[in-house]
Amino acid sequence: MEALIVIFATGLISMFIALAKKPVLVLSVAVVGILTAISSLVYQMNYPYTWLKYEGLEFSGFANLYGLVALSFGLMIILVGYAKFKEEVEHTGEYISLLLFSLSGALCMLAFTDLFMFFIGLEILSIPIYVMAGSKKKDLRSTEASLKYFFTGAFATGVLLFGVAWLYGAVGTFKLDEIAAAVQDPSTHSPLLYVGVLMILASFLFKIGAAPFHFWSPDVYEGSPNVVTSFMAAIVKLAAFAAFIKLFTLAFGSIRDFWVPILVGLSILTMFVGNLTALRQITFKRLIAYSSITHVGYALMAVIDKNTLFSPMNLWVYLLAYGFSIIALIIVSLILDDEEDLLVSYKGFARRNPFAGFVMIIALLSLAGVPPLSGFFGKYLIFSSVITEQPVLVIIALVNSGIAIYYYLKLIRISLEPVEEGAPALKVNPLHLLVLGICTLGILAGGIVTWL
Amino acid sequence: MELLLIPLAFTLISLFVPKQTLKYLALTGAAASLVAGIIHLVSYCSCTNFVTIFNPGIATMFGLTLKMGYDGMALVMILLTNAIIPLIVLSNFDKEIGSNRKFVAMVFLMQFALLGVFTALDGLLFYVFWEITLIPVFLIALWFGAAERKKALMKFFIYTFVGSLGMLAALMTIKVYSASFAYEDLVAAQFSAKTAYWIMGGFFLAFAIKIPLFPFHTWQPETYTISPMGGTMLLSALMLKMAFFGMIRWMIPLAPEALDGWLCIGITMALIGIVYAAIMAIKQEDIKRIFALASISHVGLIAAGVLLWNKDSLSAVFLQMINHSLVAVGLFLAAGILEDRTNTRNLYELGGVAKLAPKFGFWFAVIGFASVSVPFSSGFIGEFLLLKELYSYQWIIGLVAGTTLVFGAVYTLRAYQLSMFGAPKLTEFRDLSWNEWAVFFIIGILVLALGLFPQYIFNLVGPSIDHLMETVNSSQIILN
Repeated sequence: MEALIVIFATGLISMFIALAKKPVLVLSVAVVGILTAISSLVYQMNYPYTWLKYEGLEFSGFANLYGLVALSFGLMIILVGYAKFKEEVEHTGEYISLLLFSLSGALCMLAFTDLFMFFIGLEILSIPIYVMAGSKKKDLRSTEASLKYFFTGAFATGVLLFGVAWLYGAVGTFKLDEIAAAVQDPSTHSPLLYVGVLMILASFLFKIGAAPFHFWSPDVYEGSPNVVTSFMAAIVKLAAFAAFIKLFTLAFGSIRDFWVPILVGLSILTMFVGNLTALRQITFKRLIAYSSITHVGYALMAVIDKNTLFSPMNLWVYLLAYGFSIIALIIVSLILDDEEDLLVSYKGFARRNPFAGFVMIIALLSLAGVPPLSGFFGKYLIFSSVITEQPVLVIIALVNSGIAIYYYLKLIRISLEPVEEGAPALKVNPLHLLVLGICTLGILAGGIVTWL
Repeated sequence: MELLLIPLAFTLISLFVPKQTLKYLALTGAAASLVAGIIHLVSYCSCTNFVTIFNPGIATMFGLTLKMGYDGMALVMILLTNAIIPLIVLSNFDKEIGSNRKFVAMVFLMQFALLGVFTALDGLLFYVFWEITLIPVFLIALWFGAAERKKALMKFFIYTFVGSLGMLAALMTIKVYSASFAYEDLVAAQFSAKTAYWIMGGFFLAFAIKIPLFPFHTWQPETYTISPMGGTMLLSALMLKMAFFGMIRWMIPLAPEALDGWLCIGITMALIGIVYAAIMAIKQEDIKRIFALASISHVGLIAAGVLLWNKDSLSAVFLQMINHSLVAVGLFLAAGILEDRTNTRNLYELGGVAKLAPKFGFWFAVIGFASVSVPFSSGFIGEFLLLKELYSYQWIIGLVAGTTLVFGAVYTLRAYQLSMFGAPKLTEFRDLSWNEWAVFFIIGILVLALGLFPQYIFNLVGPSIDHLMETVNSSQIILN
């Protein structure tokens, strides 16, 4: 709970400091704030306070675990964003405070025990991102991304609220544990309940960008400034998945037979749609966007897993590995700083900047699931947790991993090709270098978490 | 543990030493590993089942135990790896590539990963090392390969990666029935015959692609051809041996009851490969391609021997694996020398080299004869035993597989004749340098020694094979 308060307060403070037009000051406040929040989460993990269970919010082990990742990623993205925003726009401080607000919304979504708090968290998470996606005001694509994200997001929220209303009609409560108790009773299994669950499911699929609700994500990923893209890919997905798992396993666990087959089908569809479209992409960010749709398909398998709430490590490891890789790749795109962002412009990238090239290669291999990188362990944990229940799904996921290796490998090959004449060596901002270093550690050492 | 740490340490050291000393460092590192391997050989006693080299003693929540160790069979593979790596370093010693930082580092990384594959006693660890081996070979071919490498490399990587996913699926399935990934637990796991069939199928996909067996062989000739000499040697002499070892150590003991189901399919695939690749090799003009196809033909016979699964055939498999590795290094060195000095791999543009370079002519002939398994070479014993086992399994299969001897002589002698005899089409050809001579000499001696005293290898692997058979049989008895 302190973490949430600290992050929100830091956001407010930094918003006012931003008036002084001293971006460094805002950055230091934000870093101190996030570090304080992280340490309070770590402290809580060892000494769980019982009095921290508020009405509607509960910082249990689950929320702390995911909150830790969300905050760490938030810190990394703010560091990256500071360096980037400073050269592009004049409102650096405001953007940092927007990121902080969004982060507090994510924490809210992780800790909710009440659908009210969930909805509020979701909105606090999303609204700053609508603004940030359009922050390159003179770029038409950025404006388009912002508008598209806003419309689809607003639509998803509408569907969610409608679904919650139907659900309320069926069970008469917003609290997770009371919903769970009510759903166990077969007499509540009316069409009201099923329609409500379906609508909530659809809104979640919108937020995480799963097929068939994925159409917005490549355009939004491509158009938004890189920093915002990494925020959407790493943190929004993390928060949405955590909430997804919490809501569906905890509250709707007793009607698994209803929603699991739907999710299995959509997971398969998502993998294939993402992969097969990614094969034909020619720009870097669209490739990343479609590959992340595929990864949503894999991660959906963790929601299908019956024991997922009791062994949250599976999805946690997966999203951690995924986030590190995505942030690293977005920084790579920032380093190249090419307006078109075509795949061919990455030719010889590894030679123009060996360290960034190395990170790019291991990030791609980690996404492809090559051991011993952390992406492999994430995938392994998720796949092996559902293999007894859904063997066919696992086989299909493995086939998709096989398809995906093609475009990851293509990118690796392009980056290792000889440099064209006259291409200068690429300079990396020290802050970017720092974050790249953290990502490298995360990708290389991710397997260590399997020892916990 | 030092077996693995030496190559890993040299991988890191080679990134920092000055460029002039790099080739000496490479040779030192390779020699150090070889010495370490020989020390392990001397102190090895067949009385114990597994000699543990690393055991943290705990299993994690996910069943990873990180156990490592070796028995007689693994020891043979370790020694083979540690003997082939110096030969590869030595054959590239006076070349530009031999002083290249990336190449040296990748060779040591490859050695590290290979030793990991051979010593892993934990299923997931085996898989991890198995996958790591892909990276150095891919990078060597990408950095130093021929101009037309892009497509072939993608094919190679995707093929093998997809195969590995089959193995991953099998490992995940078997883990459901087992307490941890430790070797003993996996062997002891009990499951239905249908499950066993698919577990073995998953493993078989991975190994059949890596070997490669008939319908999965299409990546192999292209990849061998476009790789630089050192890369081709790593691929043919060491990397595909992982697959045979994987079959013997993992695939069959883990799901022995499924062997009957796959035996027929496997032997057919191997048999088609033996004959088909040999006929293809006769018609080729590219010398590297001939040797690549010859490799498919030879490994088909070894694969059939593994699937027969009895003591004699397995002993012969190990002897033949060593022989194939030695001969592959020799043949690809010869092909590399020809390509290096004439800038062509086309047989019809070569000719009369034996007159210009008599030393090379002699040693190429020695390796060529070893390749066609003349008596007193190690190939003779190995192939004879394998064919004998195939013959006693089904006489017609033995007969068809036996054609490999005839075809082998045809394509090897044809390649030798077209390149070495006839009117010289070249004006000058530099004869062997000392390091190339040394490689040929060592291979020649080893081939002859193993041809005269194959018993030594049989004694080394025999007790381990016995033990393996016992374990497998007892686990099957429990099931029945």
